[in-house]
Amino acid sequence: MTLGAFVRKNRPRWQQLEGMLGLLEGHSPRSRQRPFLQELSAAYRATAGDLAFAQTHFRGTTVLLFLHQLVARAHNQIYRARSISLAEVGAFFRREIPEAVRAHLLAVNWAALIFVTGVMLGLSAVQFDERAASIILPTSILDSIYSGRMWTGPLFSVVPAPVASTMLFTNNISVALLAFAGGLSFGVVTFWILFFNGVMLGMVFKLCGNYGLLAPLTAFIVTHGFLEISAIILSGGAGFVVANALLQPGDYSRRDALSVQARSAVRMAVAAVPALIVAGCLEAFVSPSTLPFAVKAVIGLVMGLSFWLYLFGAARKSAG
Amino acid sequence: MTRTTDLELPEEIDLELEVANVGSRTLAILVDLGICAVVLLTVYVISSLLAENVSDWMTRFGSSALTIVLIALIFAAQWLYFFFFEWRWNGQTPGKRLLHLRAIKVDGSPVSWVDVLLRNLSRPIDAFGPMGLIGLLMIFVSPRAQRLGDLMARTLVIRETPIDWSIFDEEGGARPGGVAAPSIRLSSEQWELLHRFLNRRAELPADVRGRVASSVYTSLKPLALGTDLELSRLEPEAWLLEFARRT
Repeated sequence: MTLGAFVRKNRPRWQQLEGMLGLLEGHSPRSRQRPFLQELSAAYRATAGDLAFAQTHFRGTTVLLFLHQLVARAHNQIYRARSISLAEVGAFFRREIPEAVRAHLLAVNWAALIFVTGVMLGLSAVQFDERAASIILPTSILDSIYSGRMWTGPLFSVVPAPVASTMLFTNNISVALLAFAGGLSFGVVTFWILFFNGVMLGMVFKLCGNYGLLAPLTAFIVTHGFLEISAIILSGGAGFVVANALLQPGDYSRRDALSVQARSAVRMAVAAVPALIVAGCLEAFVSPSTLPFAVKAVIGLVMGLSFWLYLFGAARKSAG
Repeated sequence: MTRTTDLELPEEIDLELEVANVGSRTLAILVDLGICAVVLLTVYVISSLLAENVSDWMTRFGSSALTIVLIALIFAAQWLYFFFFEWRWNGQTPGKRLLHLRAIKVDGSPVSWVDVLLRNLSRPIDAFGPMGLIGLLMIFVSPRAQRLGDLMARTLVIRETPIDWSIFDEEGGARPGGVAAPSIRLSSEQWELLHRFLNRRAELPADVRGRVASSVYTSLKPLALGTDLELSRLEPEAWLLEFARRT
């Protein structure tokens, strides 16, 4: 059989298969009926047969390439990953995220340690020399601290709270996701994000203390701070898991360690996202408000604690 | 030089797929970034026009709503665009679709949402801005053209070769009546090469047309040994037409 005859004879079948694949990929309801699936399976097997024939007789042709791809595409649809059900989303948040946190507790501890070290260094740098703060903090914030005012007041009175919250949580989510992806830089980017944010926080605290702003600063931060910092540390921990897979692959090849560990750690980065959305809304709507300090503190502590309780409590439950 | 990758299916067929090259992957990214930029710019222009023309309270409400949309879109362009499309479109983004590319698992199965998440979260480290150099280098160096995100997610990007079917329409088409029976035997690969060129030549710019004609001519010339075409002085393209008549 010549190539032309082969194509003319079998192409209708390939087109039929392509059409069915189009329906399947478009999640058409017709594609879930039994006769359709039987037809699909027949067309798939016949096309796989054509591929085998073409492999023997028509090496090096684009038709052969096409058949390779068509069979691969059909294979994809027949053996495809199931689409996500609500139950799976539930299981992901109830079980898989807490399990990942428990499995990578050491990395989370390292992330927390690096963040706290940053805070300490920030504190002591300003303690040692106040000008150290001007290296890192923006001048607008510095000026308002030096004149004894909080910089948050004017900021939140100019920008409407819904806009501010969107700005805050998109920015924080970007930082958290970058902390995870930073694991691919052998952890350098992850380390830098955790350390730098720690130093900044430490410096702001010490500087505000020096200028009598400790109370308003605490009142501002207490509502969203615990949750926000927890989420950043969590996804920083996820970044370190990736970095560790690259640096110490152990029994696996480096490539396998990377894909296995990243797949498990990415759950922690995903967990940080909703937490940061909540934290961003709290920061924009509640933190600048005139609610009494006690109320803000209770909200903040409950938020932060319930986040960790969720991460650990749920894990213990699933283990039992 | 195209790189291929071998996949083994449960049906005991070995699939050979063409791994997408650096050029088409870069182009696909540029198309995707272009789409994001156009959308962002449109929303930005609309929001600034609205701020000038509409009454006061509406402006305030409208501009903060549009600011939220704008912030959300910038975020989406960075973190969600690739994730969403590759997840919903089975490994393709608009740019990938345009260039016939698709991300699949290394074992040939389709990408799941976690795979897509993993291969796209890594973009700030290996695909966006200057960091793209790292991704380019990885694509060059790694045997299956995988960047860091691909390694993390165990995915690779293939090219789905588009095919010109019209060359198969009717085999006798290139052979008008009156000419002697076919005397030259071509392999199917050579047959395809010849007919793809003859079919495409009208669309090619003159210089490319000449170049391709002479390269096809060089590779098919040995087949004409012993026929009247062996010593023919025709231009490559005319020669190929004559040659096609004799097959």
